[in-house]
Amino acid sequence: MVPLENYLVLSAVMFSLGVYGVLARRNAVLVLMSVELMLNAVSLNFVAFAAYLDPERITGAIFAVFVITVAAAEVGLALAIVIRLFRNRATSNVDEAAMMKW
Amino acid sequence: MGAEQAWLLAAIPAGVFFVLALFGRYLPRGGDYLGVAAIGASFVLFFFVAADFLSFYDFEAHKTFITESISWSEIGNFKLRQGIHVDAITIVMFAVITTVSLMVNIFSVGYMKGEPRYYWFFAVLQLFVASMLLLVMADNLLLVYISWELVGVCSFLLIGFYWEKRSATEAAKKAFITTRIGDVGLLIGIILLWKETGTFDIQQIIHAAEAGEIGQTYLFVSIMFVFLGCMGKSAQFPFHVWLPDAMEGPTPVSALIHAATMVVAGVYLTARLLPIFEAADGALLVVTIVGLTTALLASLIAFAQTDIKRVLAYSTVGKLGLMFVALGAGSPAAGLFLLMTHAFVKALLFLGSGSVILGTHHNQEMDKLGGLWKKMPITGTTFFVATLALAGLPPLAMFWSEDELFASVNHEWGLWALVLAMLAVFATAIFMVRLFIRTFAGEPRDRQVHEHARETPLVMTGPLVFLCVLAVVSGLFVFNGVGSALGFPGGIGEFVFLEEPERYAIDWTLAGISLAVAVAGVLIGAYVYWGNSLVRSTRLAEAMPRLYAALRNKFYIDEMYQYVIDRGVLGVSYVVSWFDRYVVNDTGVDGSAQVTGYSGSILKYLQTGRVPNYAMAITLGVVGLTVAGLLVRA
Repeated sequence: MVPLENYLVLSAVMFSLGVYGVLARRNAVLVLMSVELMLNAVSLNFVAFAAYLDPERITGAIFAVFVITVAAAEVGLALAIVIRLFRNRATSNVDEAAMMKW
Repeated sequence: MGAEQAWLLAAIPAGVFFVLALFGRYLPRGGDYLGVAAIGASFVLFFFVAADFLSFYDFEAHKTFITESISWSEIGNFKLRQGIHVDAITIVMFAVITTVSLMVNIFSVGYMKGEPRYYWFFAVLQLFVASMLLLVMADNLLLVYISWELVGVCSFLLIGFYWEKRSATEAAKKAFITTRIGDVGLLIGIILLWKETGTFDIQQIIHAAEAGEIGQTYLFVSIMFVFLGCMGKSAQFPFHVWLPDAMEGPTPVSALIHAATMVVAGVYLTARLLPIFEAADGALLVVTIVGLTTALLASLIAFAQTDIKRVLAYSTVGKLGLMFVALGAGSPAAGLFLLMTHAFVKALLFLGSGSVILGTHHNQEMDKLGGLWKKMPITGTTFFVATLALAGLPPLAMFWSEDELFASVNHEWGLWALVLAMLAVFATAIFMVRLFIRTFAGEPRDRQVHEHARETPLVMTGPLVFLCVLAVVSGLFVFNGVGSALGFPGGIGEFVFLEEPERYAIDWTLAGISLAVAVAGVLIGAYVYWGNSLVRSTRLAEAMPRLYAALRNKFYIDEMYQYVIDRGVLGVSYVVSWFDRYVVNDTGVDGSAQVTGYSGSILKYLQTGRVPNYAMAITLGVVGLTVAGLLVRA
């Protein structure tokens, strides 16, 4: 059986890549994809812990399913916003979407 | 129907109040017949209650009362019962209140005819009577306080009945606020008594006070606070200023306030709590001194007033003072007897002056009246009897009550108080004769007013005649024979008393002096004020210009209060308003708003609107917090 540490390391690497993507990327679609990466890292954690700590029940797996559902809804909303942004500004660069300020 | 159902006396008028207040305007004649019927029912029920009470009455033990109460609320150990307590004092008060109120109600049907808000007048009248009846049968101080305030608010409504008139609203406010100042004292006193005894029940508190369970100083202070309320309600110096101004209300209201429902509340409460006054050293002396001061002051001021109702008002203040003197002498019999006879006489005088006012088309200045006796024979005659009764001539009612008063004062305090009380009676005789002569006798001073004067209808003269009979005979209740015939042997002295029943016995010396004083007063009054030219009285006024001016201006007491209000109250208010404006408002409220606005105008530049900036801030925040958490744990 693969030890728990391997999963956790993989998850941490995925999460860090996601954070890097969110902070460094300027394209809104790529930022969204990075967010998905972070969410998947979290889901991986859930499933790994579920399998190791409480194999009888699948609590962590259920959480992962919920996270996937929420992530799907969130992406649907976020992509709609990106499309509106592109229609209005002819760009998908998040640096140029700076309307929400004083 | 027994004395246990005495609460019906108050419940019936109270119920009719709601009917009249809600639907009175839709009823024919404003529903005045309902008002008369309600008070009439109370009046009739009173006889049943009295008969039942007298059949219970134990003339050997002499301490009979009937009490009936329900549990009102229970919170933990705190139990509150509300109920009625009917004893001799209550019966006497019932007699006064129901009789006078009924007469006033009937009289009002004639007097208030055609006035606006006719139905409302009768509605409030019912509530007034109901709350007063409740007051005199309440068995605990809390209920006393509630009905006490109800009486106050009804007087406010009725004095300010003509609220279109500025002077009426001012007078209503003055009456309410002045009595409220005393009422604060009453509330403090009730709370103090409750704190020490743990009960509001009057009999239990009296029992505790008599048993010496309350410390002397504590008892004295708390009963003085209660007495402050009595002074306010009963218009004792220095609270007397509201009563003369209360004349702004319709005249029947004045009759009710002066005789039955308002000012006697203080006398009643003092009589009810008299054992406590007795138990507290020095309390009775305070009561006596307040009473004597008021009696003398008011009797002097009345000399120089020209408005009929104002003269009567000051005579009431004076007589109330004498009632307190009687109570101060430790004689509730004398106090309540004086209260009763005075109520009948004063109600008669006020209804008589109301009849004059209506008969002369709203004229109440004595300078314009005169010679009305021939034009208004019934009013004139009854007024004449009432004048002599108030002056204290035998065999009219007030002679006997004042005799009882003099006897107890002489017994308790000795000569000095007796002389002062007699001075007040003497002065009353003089100015009452002055009032009568200038209104009814002599030549008319104003032809036109005299020409149009006419006698008032039966609905008004009827009550006058009835009260006139009472003003003549009610003094006889003091005698054993009359009392026996009516069911309370021994007369009023053995019916109402503090410790030992005392049968009335004429002290011929005192009665003779009292008679001489009254006759002298009447004669001097007649000598000075007889005739039309007013030569003698004018000369008298000119001989003492400063005294006359002081009397005319009521010893400048109102002006003094006004000065205190202007300088003291308004001065303090100025400081408070300055603090409110500049410290609370400008610095506190506006200042904090400005600080918020200024810091916002600087901090807004942090909001760049760029999503990566926010994301970076969140990330750095989480990392920072994690590092900080690890450091703390390490």
